[in-house]
Formats: sequence, C-alpha cells, structure tokens
Amino acid sequence: MKKYLTRMGDGERIEMTVDELKQDFELGTKDAADRGKISPLTQDELDYLLEIFTNPNKIVSVEPGNEVPLTHDIGTLRLMGDQGNSGVGIPLSRVQGIQVHERAFGGDTMELGHIDYSFKPVKPVIAMEQQEMENALLSTIVPLFYGAMPNLGLYYSPDGPFGNPSDLLPMGKIQEAREAQEGAVEHATRDMIYICEKLYDVGCDGINFDTTGAAGDADMKATLHAVEYLKANTNLAIEVGMAGEFVLGMHGGLEYDGVRLAGLYPHQQVKLVEKAGADIFGPVVNTNTSKSMAWNLARAVTFIKACVEVANIPIHVNMGMGVGGSPVFETPPLDSVTRASKAMVEVAKVDGL
Amino acid sequence: MGGLRTAGDLVARMQMTRKMRIKDAKAYVAEKLKVSSADLSNEHVMREVREELDIGIITSVPGCAKGIEAKARIADLLGIEINSVKRLKNKISF
Amino acid sequence: MSKQELLEQAAQSVVDADRDATVEVAKRAIAEGIDPVEMINDGYSVGMSRVGDLFDRGEMFLPELIVASDAMVAAINVLEEAMPVKNQSKKLGTVVLGTIEGDVHDIGKGIVATMLRVYGFEVFDLGRDVPIKTFVEKAKEVGADIVGSSALMTTTQVGQKALEAALKKAGLRDKVKTMVGGAVVTQRWADKIGSNLYAENASEAVLKLKEMFS
Repeated sequence: MKKYLTRMGDGERIEMTVDELKQDFELGTKDAADRGKISPLTQDELDYLLEIFTNPNKIVSVEPGNEVPLTHDIGTLRLMGDQGNSGVGIPLSRVQGIQVHERAFGGDTMELGHIDYSFKPVKPVIAMEQQEMENALLSTIVPLFYGAMPNLGLYYSPDGPFGNPSDLLPMGKIQEAREAQEGAVEHATRDMIYICEKLYDVGCDGINFDTTGAAGDADMKATLHAVEYLKANTNLAIEVGMAGEFVLGMHGGLEYDGVRLAGLYPHQQVKLVEKAGADIFGPVVNTNTSKSMAWNLARAVTFIKACVEVANIPIHVNMGMGVGGSPVFETPPLDSVTRASKAMVEVAKVDGL
Repeated sequence: MGGLRTAGDLVARMQMTRKMRIKDAKAYVAEKLKVSSADLSNEHVMREVREELDIGIITSVPGCAKGIEAKARIADLLGIEINSVKRLKNKISF
Repeated sequence: MSKQELLEQAAQSVVDADRDATVEVAKRAIAEGIDPVEMINDGYSVGMSRVGDLFDRGEMFLPELIVASDAMVAAINVLEEAMPVKNQSKKLGTVVLGTIEGDVHDIGKGIVATMLRVYGFEVFDLGRDVPIKTFVEKAKEVGADIVGSSALMTTTQVGQKALEAALKKAGLRDKVKTMVGGAVVTQRWADKIGSNLYAENASEAVLKLKEMFS
C-alpha cells in the first residue's frame, strides 16, 4: 500500500498509509472535541486534510485569493537573538531588523521587542524603547506592534517581590500561593499599562501581549485588565496571543467578568479577550511530540475552527515550533509548516497567522 | 500575505483598527484601492496600484513615498487614524 | 456498605480533594475488615489516576491537585496503621529528580515528584536549572535507584544526554535507572540517549516506575 511522507510531533520523518492518516485524523479531532466539548471536524474537512497530506510536493500553499496577513512574536530577535534559542545571531540593530522584515521578507506587520521579551524589564529602559519605536515608525510603512510577554514569573521570588507559587504549592501553602499570584496580578497590570501608554505616546500602532497565560491564570487576568484599560484610554490596536491551549490553573479561582479563567480552551478564551476589547486574538494548540502530525494537526484545526466560529474579532492562530500542528523542533520542517498553515487557513478559516 | 509586495499591510491595518475579519478587511481595502479582493495579493496588480497611489512599494525607487510619508497617505486612503501619522501632524502644526 | 461501594467512595473522595472524607472512608474500611492494600490500590489510587486525567484536561487545577494528593496521603497513613507490619507499604525506591540546567520549567516535574511521593517513592527534588554534577552528587549521596530529568526546550534536552554520560563516568550508570520527561522529550529521544524510561506525563511516570520497582 502506498505510503506518504509525514512527521511525528518531534519532527522525525515517518511514512503513513492513507488508512493510517485517516485513523490519526479521526483520533486527533475526537481528542479535541472531547476535551473542548466542541464539534469534531466534518467528513469533508477530514477529506481535505487528507488531500493536503497526500500532496506529493514538499511544500504546499493556499489557493490564490486565500492569503492571510501575518502578525509576529519575538520581534526582531529571530534575526539578532543569539541566546541558544530561535534567533540566528545576525548583528543588526532592531530598526534594521524591522526594515529587513518589511522590505526583504514582505512582512505584513512587524513588531519591536526587548531582548528579554518580557514587560517587566522594559520599565527601567522605557525611554530607550520609546526612541527605538520612534525611529522605526519614521522609516517603515507596515503596522508596528510592540511585543512582550506578561510573564508573571518575574514577579515571584527570586526575581520579584512575591513568593513563588511553584515553591509554595508543593509545600501545601495554597493560600500563600494564591495571595502571591493575586499580588502579582496587580503589579503586572500596573507595569504593562505604564509601558504601553509610554509607547502609545510615541505613536506605536499596537501592542502584542505574547504567550499570555504562560504563568497560569494570574498571567491571563493581568493581561485582560491591562487590555481593558488600554482600549478605554488609548488608540492602540491590541493582539492577545496565548501560551497554551488551556489556561493553566496555578491559582484556580481567578475570574474575569465572572468567568473562571483556569481551564478555558480557545473558543472560551476568545470571548473574554473580546470582552476586554482586544482587536486580534492568537490562540494556541500545543503539539504532542509522541503523536503523528496527522493527529496533531487534526486536533489543532478542530480547536481553532471552534474558536474562529464563535469569534467576533480576527483570529491569528499561533503557528511555528510546537504549536498549531507543527513539530516541536527549532528548525520546523517546511513540509509540516506549510501543510499546517494551509489547513488553518482553508479548514479552520483563520483570519491570519 | 506579502506585505508591501501586495496589500498585506493594508489588510492588517483594517484588522487592527476596525477588528475586521479577513473577508471584510479585504473587501474594504479592495474597494478603497478599486481592485478585486483576489488582486490584493497579486503582485503584478498591486505594484502598479501602490506606485500610482504613492503608498509605498517594496523596492527602493527614488521619489516614491517612504516611511511615514507613505503611512500618511495610507491613513487618508483607508480613512483610518494611524498613531504615528497623527503625532507627526501634531508636531508640524503651529 | 459493600466493598465495591467503599472503593468507589475512596476514589471519589480523592477526586473531591476532601481530606475528611478520605480519612473517614479509610476508617470505615478498616472497621469492615477490608484489606488496606486493596483500598489503596483499587480505591484511592484509582481516584488519583482520575485526578491526573482531569488535570491533564484542564478540568482540575494545581492547588486542587495538591489538596487531592494530601487527602490521599492522609488516608494511606490511616490504612497503614491497620496493616500487619509485613504488609506496610515499603519504600518503592529512591528518586532523584530535577529540571536540567538552563531550564526553569518545573511545574510538570513538580507534579511528577508529588505523585511519586504519594505512591511510596522517596523523592529528592533538586528543583529547576540543576547542573549535571548536582544530579550525580545527589544520586551518589542518597543511593538513588532512579535519576529523573526534565527538559522543556530542545536546547536543554541535550543536558539529558550529558547526564547519561556523567552518570557513566561516575560509575553510577549500572546502579541507577534513568527517566526522562518534558514537553520536547519522546520515547525516540530516550532510546537514542540510552535512558531506561520515558514518560509522557506524571501518571505515566508513576505507572511505569511502579511496574519497574514492584
């Protein structure tokens, strides 16, 4: 029986028959439907996924006219970063990095980001960030976001004033862990608002809250409060990008607009993000390294399709290493990334990536 | 979508400033540019349109609007407020 | 009340993270002469397994997981007192656990540590960002049976390979079993570096180690 080249969730190249692919599509969509209590993909959609996977070409693309715009995360660090992460270590200035994205890569939007990429460390160097933003805005045309992570982890010991929930919880100090997180929400909200208002003052187009929820439900609560304030008091466009497919309950009891944040899946997250006033939502679905890409992508598309269907704002799904059906691998294989992107646009019907 | 090669930046601006979904954002920009939605990602059409409207093109051509000059024209063309353009106007008004 | 009903109540009391209920059910089981080992294995452990699944699905949260573990430990303590000495749950093994140097992600590893403790392993949790030599020194110091390492990033994953080599160099590799986990880790990676065990999540880690050491 003919076999098709595909990948495991860690990027390993494997071969699967049509029956094997179909089986993994079904299991993947069923897993998402079961966890999210949402509808699985229809037979037509599963058939279209099969068409994408059995396309003999190494890379695939959407049909002409179906192209969608891209927003970014990590700013220009993918060019300049040399911390052993996803950066390629080219010694460019950040303004040069933005210009390269605009004029060489054809980026639809771009963003400026601090080397740490968290909000908190930006506070003491805000004047530098403002001037970098001013310079970039004068010389570029595409919309410019300022991107950073809420990263409430920096408000816990040893980096911040509050006890660390990761230390307190295993000791059974649940109340203390919860109070620490509630304190961090207040501090982080205040810091994010301060930084974003300063950037608005110099003409920044928008803010990208990236990997929201990375430190749990408190992380998301702080972000939503900051977004709400900024939308009421500035003309900033706001994108909220998530860290994981469901909000991790480090606190477990935090709410926004009367809804408990912990455990929310993308189709539920988007309603609160809308309520806070954000303009674009970037949901995440994580990749399981032990499952095939067929399983992972069918699962991811199921979650994102449900999110797109209930959303009233544009959905820019997170795509790349370890998210959106792509393998958890720092050099994501092109065959996987292009197949995942096509499926997200043409099956999940996202508004952007 | 292609950024300045096409109309990617313009469609993104409508998503950012008016929360428009992809279909509506493309329809809005297409109407303003007097092209079809499909042509918004057609480099052959968009190069000419961008040059004629002087809203910035991807290659470096003397005389074409650059940076904030192009953004000022985009704000007028799309009927939206662009924060940096508004700031520039405040700076140059006496 | 039938044995089956008591077993189900034991499981449910763990899911409810209700310490009073877990202890109450344990006392009733003793009064009715039910084998404590059966209560642990077919009652409370089943509940803990359900808790692990609910956590994995985002339907139960970290504080609740901690309280549920605590409730289960309280019941086990009650049951152990009623066991003949020969049946008292003995230490299944000594585990040294940590997140590889350069990696600060330790929520998952912390859950593995908690679950292993609940199931009778002695756990030395070294925390996060742990240098390779610290794993080796601690394993030597406590006479570890298992050395477990976690990595969330491909850049720190290579530390697990270095740990294998360091244990070999210290003459410990034949005396311990190694276990690897973390978001980027797979069975294929475990096989590649020569680790004895890979677990996808905390429940699987417990299951596989219990099998290995029972």
